Amino acid sequence: MQPIARDMIRVTALTRTYGSFNALDAVDLSVAQGEFVTLLGPSGSGKSTLLNLISGMIEPTSGKIEIDGRDATNQPTNQRGLGMVFQNYALMPHMTVFENVAFPLQVRKVPKSEIETRVRDVLRLIQLEHVADRKPKQLSGGQQQRISLARCIVYRPSIILMDEPLGALDKKLREDMQLEIKRLHAELGITMIYVTHDQEEALAMSDRIVLMRKGRIEQQGRPEELYFRPDTLFTADFLGSSNLLMGTIDVSARTLQTAYGNLPLPATRPGEPKSGDGVLMIRPESVRLFSETAPETWSGLQATVRDSIVLGSFVRHFLELPGGKRVIVQEPSGASLSRPERGSTVRVAWGPQDARLLRTDPDFQNL
Amino acid sequence: MSFPRRSNLVVPAAAWITYLFLLVPSLIVIPISFGGSGEMTFPPQVWTLDLYRQFFADAAWWGSLIQSLRIAVFVTLVTTVLGVPAAYALQRTNLPGGKVLGGLAMGPLLVPVVVLALGLYLQLGPIGLADKTWTVVLAHSMLALPFVMVSVGAALRHLDPSYEQVALIMGAGKTRIFFKVVLPQLRSGIAAGALFAFLISLDEVIVAYFITGTATQTLPVKMYSALRWEVSPVIAAVSTILTVVSLAFAIGLMWLERKDRHD
Amino acid sequence: MSETKPYLDRWAGLALLLPMAALLAIFFVYPLARTVWQSFYEYGFTLRAYETLLSSTLFWKVLKTTFAISFTATIVALLAGYPVALHLSRLPPQRRMPYLVMVMLPFWTSILVKSFALIVLLGYDGIVNNALSFVFGSPIHIPMVFNRVGAILGMVNYLLPFMILSILSSLLTQDVNLGRAAEVMGASRFTIFRRITLPLSMPGVLAGVLISFTLSIGMYITPALLGGRQDMMMANLIDFYTRQTLDWPLASAIAVVLLLVSGVLVAMLGQVRGAGGMKEMAR
Ligand SMILES: Nc1ncnc2c1ncn2[C@@H]1O[C@H](COP(=O)(O)OP(=O)(O)OP(=O)(O)O)[C@@H](O)[C@H]1O
Ligand SMILES: [Mg+2]
Repeated sequence: MQPIARDMIRVTALTRTYGSFNALDAVDLSVAQGEFVTLLGPSGSGKSTLLNLISGMIEPTSGKIEIDGRDATNQPTNQRGLGMVFQNYALMPHMTVFENVAFPLQVRKVPKSEIETRVRDVLRLIQLEHVADRKPKQLSGGQQQRISLARCIVYRPSIILMDEPLGALDKKLREDMQLEIKRLHAELGITMIYVTHDQEEALAMSDRIVLMRKGRIEQQGRPEELYFRPDTLFTADFLGSSNLLMGTIDVSARTLQTAYGNLPLPATRPGEPKSGDGVLMIRPESVRLFSETAPETWSGLQATVRDSIVLGSFVRHFLELPGGKRVIVQEPSGASLSRPERGSTVRVAWGPQDARLLRTDPDFQNL
Repeated sequence: MSFPRRSNLVVPAAAWITYLFLLVPSLIVIPISFGGSGEMTFPPQVWTLDLYRQFFADAAWWGSLIQSLRIAVFVTLVTTVLGVPAAYALQRTNLPGGKVLGGLAMGPLLVPVVVLALGLYLQLGPIGLADKTWTVVLAHSMLALPFVMVSVGAALRHLDPSYEQVALIMGAGKTRIFFKVVLPQLRSGIAAGALFAFLISLDEVIVAYFITGTATQTLPVKMYSALRWEVSPVIAAVSTILTVVSLAFAIGLMWLERKDRHD
Repeated sequence: MSETKPYLDRWAGLALLLPMAALLAIFFVYPLARTVWQSFYEYGFTLRAYETLLSSTLFWKVLKTTFAISFTATIVALLAGYPVALHLSRLPPQRRMPYLVMVMLPFWTSILVKSFALIVLLGYDGIVNNALSFVFGSPIHIPMVFNRVGAILGMVNYLLPFMILSILSSLLTQDVNLGRAAEVMGASRFTIFRRITLPLSMPGVLAGVLISFTLSIGMYITPALLGGRQDMMMANLIDFYTRQTLDWPLASAIAVVLLLVSGVLVAMLGQVRGAGGMKEMAR
């Protein structure tokens, strides 16, 4: 029996070195059919390298790449049956929009009449039928990127790779295009691997986020998993903002001894540090403000209000613990009608399960 | 300042003397060529087409013009067909000897033409290959190659490799990519190289003078021989024809350059 | 292992380069090698040609003439070209085009056409002499062609585009604000030119001089058509030994000397301009 979602891509121990530098370091990754996977990470973390290894534009130093069940490690690029969208669109400037979209079909020797209908259909799908006879240079950036998407979709590749496809567009257009890509993904069910270094984009679009760091996968999972249950300081810090409190683990009392007091630790989980130094991470939206006492089971700290700003549907409070450590709290706008006064003293507190105990990391010294 | 200082005029005045010296020898042949076969004067006393009639009445003259045009056309074809793929390969491979070969292709520009002419004469004469149209074509192609390589190379450096990458991912073969994706985008670079090649061949004297005989004489060789013995007025007509062709091509080249800058 | 994967593999690259390489091998490398070989060969290896050269008064005279004419032509081209480059550099870019066309015009016209025109202009009964006779009311016949003046004028006309563009390119990289600042500080235009413009344009001048000199020493047509009997240059001497006396080893030996001299000059140009200088000549 066919499994419901088979792996379209499986890479094993994939490594690419430049000289003695590992641009990609023994990465294992599988992508299921129809999945929308985002490679997220800071500049130089190896996202493009991984994508270009999958497309065959660079050769792996070692490791294996399988596409749709066959070994593609040494397969030429043009036989891998992939599609790709570039940040600079890469639409042929000497061809009209129609000819651009027809090109991959001509390559596949599709009969002329069928090309005509398929190109028209896909242009209709992205609502750009009326520009068929224009040259790419006569279109806006957003239109060009939709055409380059159409050029991929039209030949139904098993996987579409996108390397920061929206990087050249302004914010408003980016958001429209994010929705458009999501819609096309949902309607067509094509497997997509999407590269970005924009965490909001990754959170908004992905079925799964693969967070990369220095040529390795730091953590992968559903967006909310990565956001609320980061395994490492790097993940916590890269996605959204977070409050990080460093201290020493007291194993018997199950608390973290910090400069601000002993804070109770959440229930144990596999992979957490057992002893020594640790960092407690609490998302700003998990923290609440109390003018007097917090619920008994909650951890709480005394803090001074420095500033509060309303950001539409939520309010963000900037507080300071004794010693100068900053804490951010985010509440829905309606939750506290009266804003705390600047300079007043409040209690900040969070539910024990909203905190997460993480390992320290040499790259994050000054917490 | 209310009026220009005198020193402001020194540079333009000096420059204009040179501009005239650049301009006049290239253009004076045109009015002279309409001046009839008497004494060559400027401006001509009478305006006539006599010299052109003389030119076309003499099979030796217009025959060598046809020969020159024929050779120039072949040179254009040969340099384009050899040069464009070679320039492409030099950009898109990293063969060990590639750099050396690219430098070698610039060589004909750096060696005095007379040395090459002598070498070709020594090479072709003894084995009976001098006085053949096709050897002139190939010799001229060698001389024109650097110009084609420079023009096409410059166009290639401006060609974003992502067009080839995206076509490759879409499944296209490299031959198809070369013809459908790369060549159309190199059009003006190739055209510029072709115009260069045509002009270089059309105006070339020294090599042709060393390796052609009566059977294959080109127009510049015929003209050079004629100039050495007597300065016949019909040369004014020949010169005008050559100049007009050259200028047409030069204007074409400049137009291509401008177009590139605006695209 | 290579650092990045080239787009074309080795075999495709070779196949595309082979025809051009063959043309260069047969019609460029081989003739040069043949010339060098011929200079040492006459029924066996010999240094006869070089020995003859060393003791030939004609060769030394021609060598001297070649350098003298080339040197003069280069200096005249520099003096005539610098004001043009300066003028062009001071024009706003959008107005430069028609002037550049004038500069490039000699580059595009056949050297034969220009030689013919100079003969007609400067000859014994030429247009210039006629005009002068008309102005002064008495017959004037200043000898301006078929002598060294003619050869030099013809060469200067040929060299000017190279000289001007070379100087222009280094004038255009100068910072305009430097001159403005000096002017604000009260420097006269001539001081600005002498202290700022001229020193900063020296790389272009040097490259222009080297290019011009390299082109000059190999000149063939101009000295043959516009020079006098005394103005034979190396290229003409090569032709003389090749066709008149059929002494191929001697002709080849002169060619080798010419090749070496221009090789040194090209190497110097490479030092001045980097690799770009060579391509400059093609533009
Ligand atoms: N051809 C190359 N030679 C040497 N180093 C390279 C080469 N290509 C990439 N690298 C290095 O490999 C590392 C990973 O590069 P990669 O392009 O995959 O990063 P990225 O995650 O896509 O970053 P960005 O967000 O900036 O696009 C970088 O440190 C880069 O400098
Ligand atoms: Mg990248």
